[in-house]
Amino acid sequence: MRGTVVSWLLAAPLALVLAVFLVVPLVVLVAVSFYDYDSFRLIPDFVFTNYIEVFGSPVTWRTYAKTFWFAGITWAITLMLGFWIAYYLAFVVEGTGRRTLLFLLCTIPFWTSNLIRMIAWVPFLGRNGLLNQALLGAGVIDQPLEFLLFSDFAVVLAFVHLYTLFMVVPIFNTMMRIDRQLIEAAVDAGADFWRVLRHVIIPLCKPGIAIGSIFVIVLVMGDFVTVRLMSGGQSASVGLMISNQISLLQYPAAAANAVVLLAVVLLMVAAILRAIDIRKEL
Amino acid sequence: MKDQSLPGRTSLTRRGALALAGAAVGSGAVTGFPTIWAQNIRNITLRQAGTGVSGLNAIAEQCKKDTGITLQLTVMDTDALAQRAATQPRSFDIADIEYMTTKKVYPVGTMQAIERRRITHADKIVPIFTTGRLTPASAIAQGTAPHTVGFVANRLATAFEPSQTEWMTLIPTIYNADTLGIRPDLINRPITNWKDLVDPAFRGKASIVNVPNIGIMDAAMVMESAGQAPYADKGNMTRAEIDRTTAFLIDLKRQGHFRAFWKTFDESVNLMASGEVIIQSMWSPAVAAVRSRGIACTYQPLAEGYRAWGGGLGIARHVSGLQLDAAYEYLNWYLSGWTGAYLNRQGYYSAVLETAKAQMSPAEWDFWMEGKPAATDILAPDGRVMERAGAVRDGGSFTERMGKVACWNSVMNEERYMVQKWNEFIAA
Amino acid sequence: MNDVELVAVTKRYGGAVAVDAIDLAIPTASYTCLLGPSGCGKTSTLRMIAGHESVSDGDILLAGRNVTLLPPASRGTAMMFQSYALFPHLSARDNVAFGLRMRGTPKAERLAKADQFLDLVQLGALADRLPAQLSGGQQQRVALARALITGPRVLLLDEPLSALDPFLRAKMREELKRLQRELGISFIHVTHSQEEAMALADLAVVMDHGRIVQAAPPREVFERPTSAFVARFIGGHNVLPRGERAVAVRTDRCRLDAGTEGPRLEGRVRALEYLGSTVRVVVATPDGTEAEALLPDSAFASSTVTLGDAATLAWNAADEHALAA
Repeated sequence: MRGTVVSWLLAAPLALVLAVFLVVPLVVLVAVSFYDYDSFRLIPDFVFTNYIEVFGSPVTWRTYAKTFWFAGITWAITLMLGFWIAYYLAFVVEGTGRRTLLFLLCTIPFWTSNLIRMIAWVPFLGRNGLLNQALLGAGVIDQPLEFLLFSDFAVVLAFVHLYTLFMVVPIFNTMMRIDRQLIEAAVDAGADFWRVLRHVIIPLCKPGIAIGSIFVIVLVMGDFVTVRLMSGGQSASVGLMISNQISLLQYPAAAANAVVLLAVVLLMVAAILRAIDIRKEL
Repeated sequence: MKDQSLPGRTSLTRRGALALAGAAVGSGAVTGFPTIWAQNIRNITLRQAGTGVSGLNAIAEQCKKDTGITLQLTVMDTDALAQRAATQPRSFDIADIEYMTTKKVYPVGTMQAIERRRITHADKIVPIFTTGRLTPASAIAQGTAPHTVGFVANRLATAFEPSQTEWMTLIPTIYNADTLGIRPDLINRPITNWKDLVDPAFRGKASIVNVPNIGIMDAAMVMESAGQAPYADKGNMTRAEIDRTTAFLIDLKRQGHFRAFWKTFDESVNLMASGEVIIQSMWSPAVAAVRSRGIACTYQPLAEGYRAWGGGLGIARHVSGLQLDAAYEYLNWYLSGWTGAYLNRQGYYSAVLETAKAQMSPAEWDFWMEGKPAATDILAPDGRVMERAGAVRDGGSFTERMGKVACWNSVMNEERYMVQKWNEFIAA
Repeated sequence: MNDVELVAVTKRYGGAVAVDAIDLAIPTASYTCLLGPSGCGKTSTLRMIAGHESVSDGDILLAGRNVTLLPPASRGTAMMFQSYALFPHLSARDNVAFGLRMRGTPKAERLAKADQFLDLVQLGALADRLPAQLSGGQQQRVALARALITGPRVLLLDEPLSALDPFLRAKMREELKRLQRELGISFIHVTHSQEEAMALADLAVVMDHGRIVQAAPPREVFERPTSAFVARFIGGHNVLPRGERAVAVRTDRCRLDAGTEGPRLEGRVRALEYLGSTVRVVVATPDGTEAEALLPDSAFASSTVTLGDAATLAWNAADEHALAA
């Protein structure tokens, strides 16, 4: 009996924090998504206008399609890069010191703010940027490449630059837990490099891959800064759509959009978790 | 205007804080205003929420020196400010907002009207803010003209009155006329009209501002200039007009006409300075910021006129008693000349010209306000030479500029629809 | 023909020599134990034979074929790892079938064969379980089946019994020996337990500091250890100085007896251990030399010696075995 009380008490602070800072705001979010509004006021009500507008607008569908597209491409590239970087760190690099050093290198993209990074991309990728000048100088191109900056390419590049680490860390973690003898056992049984990868390393990295994928997909699905800055405002994402609505005080529309986005992202996460059991990692 | 981070703001803030501290220590020596409250007002702090345009520490310092009132400035962008004013009215005492924001925010009932008779220089305010006409002969511009949202019936009324009353929603403080910024070194032909923005010669090198209610008006200016059917009111479009405008923009976007869209001050400066963009809608301090990097940039007057904006100070509804008196004291001080001169010297315009003129040298006045060649070197507020003798400012005299306002920054009745269509354009 | 032949095989890690030019011939269908203290080079030797460790110098021949540079799977060896190294995501059956899968055997065939091998190690009923659902002993049987399924000529076992409790260890030992005999292949088994080596090996290879100090049938090693190190390591011997050299005397050939003629050691009883059928008596001389006798319990019961008593350890000169220096 006393034990029960104590465990309730121990769980209470977190439950309270979650209730106040997660559950209540979510409930408010859902409630507001049914409000009406005009250009300067929220009108408490229970209308479906916001949802009708969300689902009825071709912009929503196009924006979701674009956001999925960004998420898909970014996921595929960060997975490829992240997997091999993690592989290199886990299986090729020897010594904790070197590993730590290389890990630190991986965090370089996080050393500056988004705005500074974006400003830094301009002189690198811009029309008169270093890359274009180098390519022009080398005679590879005779016109500056315009797609390097303020384009979907630039958006994906920035995403990959930022989020690969989120893929590397969980995959690296699972790789470090793989008993090295398993690989020897596979080799002993006649597996070559690719078959060791396919039959041993990848199956055992699945939880890490799932966690990394959740990170990347959730981050990209909710992003609004990178898309705006790197596309020069020319591409849309769901987050950007919501952020625009918030800045125009269209809270109910933003809330409805946010509820839909939340549901979509939760479904994606659920799908990933259904496909791969990550409990071993937790 | 919206601007979160003018270059150099951080260092200014630090210096400002120090100076403020110094002023506070020495404030015993300052002569206060001869009211019975003067001594008490000296200890009052007013929290002012505003944009980076006018949320200037120099003003706070001078205010402390002159009135003893401590101004605590919070700087944010236009949208955040509107949100703050509408939803967290107790978080500030003075709102430093644009007239177009007022149209949105004032009806929420978080502000109180300002009694005209308590404003010393009320009668000397530039008539743009009272009648909408710079001179009796000039036309009233389209959009949310300040005088249309400048007056209410009584202190707590939230509905705007069509003509001047004794109760003002804002005391006008700062305003300007916006146009296109260009890189004259990269454009080798004269730019004379808004339609030049969509000249195919500038394909992939043009930009417009991605703030829906401002960007769509710039687009409307371009369309009218290009000979398409004129708008009844560019600042308050019908759905059909909105459709027409966004269709025009989407078409341009698909052709790859725009290099990027910008949303913040820094973005517009970077686009221009890097040469990614050579013609775009721009704000005057952003042009100055590009020029200060030694890169040629012109704020180009155009035949069709300007898109103007204006801001002012309003009082939050919760302010009362001694604090309200201090607020009036502050508003009166604002119009009393020092600030006006300070703003005029930055290329903005102040609401009471007479008091500002008294604080400026004749050479300064002629350069900034009359559009004449500088008789002497023109100094920036920090004492650096800003323009050499003989230079002429972009856009001519005050009358030429403010007399040629085509429309004011505005909030449309169809804003919700307009924003949807704008998002469609961005997503296209 | 020998199943395995090592010719001057050397392993160096940087400057350190782990295995120092060893030569060894392992006869066909034999059970060999590589025995020695940790760091003696026995595991490196095993891993070199398996192909999981490169050979710094020398050659390894399997059934007369030089396999020094061949990958593990082409050598005709299979290895059973100390931690079993079962694939945690695969069922017992899939684990066992893994080697055939890598060789491209059709699925039905390889699964049938896997079941057959699971039966061989008496695990047929648990084929669908994941490794985590099996006990340590069961996991080991799966590992064994997995190693055997590809039909290796030589099975390499790295300390296979060290993780098991003593009871299971004895049982498993029997089973290993049975399998080796039934399959008619060679087992090379690394261990640090002399008891295991004695019980299993046809050929016991005692290693120390990267060298083979003695390679012979266990009985020969036990009866005629070539050096003091071997005598001490293999256990059951007193190593005593005899002039320039040393001699070994089996402890079970010693007795507590002051009366008879012959070599002896006089001192006091320092330790007495009752071990069931035998009793271990340790006698220490005043100069610190120690020796022990392993007495049948009946012999001990008839004596009256207790801890601290003066005692004389005696043996027959014929039981002395001269050691190399």
